[in-house]
Amino acid sequence: MLTLPQIILAFIAFVFLASSILKFLRKEKSQTLFKLFSNVFVWGGVLFFSLFPRFTHQLSQKLGFGESLNTFIFIGFVIVFIILFKILNILERTERNVSEIVRKEALAKLEKNIK
Amino acid sequence: MALDKNKIFIVIPAFNEESVIYDVLQEVNSAGYENIIVVDDGSSDNTYTAAAKFPGVVSVKHFLNRGKGAAVKTGMEAAKILGADVAVTMDGDGQHNPRDIAKMLEFIRQGHDVVLGTRLQNPKGMPLYKIAANHIGNFFTFVFYGLWVTDSQSGFRAYSKKALDLIDTRTDRYEYDSEVIREIVRHRLKFKEIPIEVRYTEYSMSKAQKQNLKNGIKTLIKMMINS
Repeated sequence: MLTLPQIILAFIAFVFLASSILKFLRKEKSQTLFKLFSNVFVWGGVLFFSLFPRFTHQLSQKLGFGESLNTFIFIGFVIVFIILFKILNILERTERNVSEIVRKEALAKLEKNIK
Repeated sequence: MALDKNKIFIVIPAFNEESVIYDVLQEVNSAGYENIIVVDDGSSDNTYTAAAKFPGVVSVKHFLNRGKGAAVKTGMEAAKILGADVAVTMDGDGQHNPRDIAKMLEFIRQGHDVVLGTRLQNPKGMPLYKIAANHIGNFFTFVFYGLWVTDSQSGFRAYSKKALDLIDTRTDRYEYDSEVIREIVRHRLKFKEIPIEVRYTEYSMSKAQKQNLKNGIKTLIKMMINS
């Protein structure tokens, strides 16, 4: 028997999963195969575990996360990777801004020469 | 409908190509193209001055080195400012043969938006490691952007006015070439791949050292961030 939180979580995961697949099928702006795989992996996982919560216990036993401390360490690694990815993203954005300044300066000279 | 030759621009990104850039420009000019834009991407040698010496060439200079992708984008913007209907991008080290431009323009004339020069349909003389690297690049381009092309890393391409107006790239370095493929998918542009000749001289091979394994991994990470 599903509990109310399970139903809500499953509904949310289903909406995101369906919307991602639809966006990809409609070839919407910036929807790529990589994004589709990521979304199916994340939201598909949420949907699956919300419907079959007992599976998480079996999985943690099989993966050796039986102890709570191990699970915390694992979550810690995941958080560090997310932070690293975010920092890379910020660096990338800064690089882009620098390029834009360099480009504007170069083109401003060209436009001045045309006039 | 015939293309207006005055509105065809050849965009050449160049980084430390002082010793060959004049010859490259001469070859392009001999092939019948007068509108040439050279983007010096912050070279530490005299590439800019060497290019500017060539009569009629428009030289643009980045005051900092920003990468091939950034230089090509600047060249495309310059072409738009100068009223281009078609822009052709090619490398500044002389590895591309300007005689292939005519074939590309023919497909643009027939209504294609982007013509991609591909080395892998005619890989004669191409080193094996480059062929392998290219296949890996094609695979990841397909995974991230959903379109299979035979040479996702080729810098020899032609763009119609529609493509020039629509294509909007964000990356600066070698991942730029794959990003164009994403834009083709995003805007549903009509594209065509045609075999091109690539001349692997001692000079161009020494420049190719920039595309090593380390830079390949960097390109891959950047593609992930930007996908």
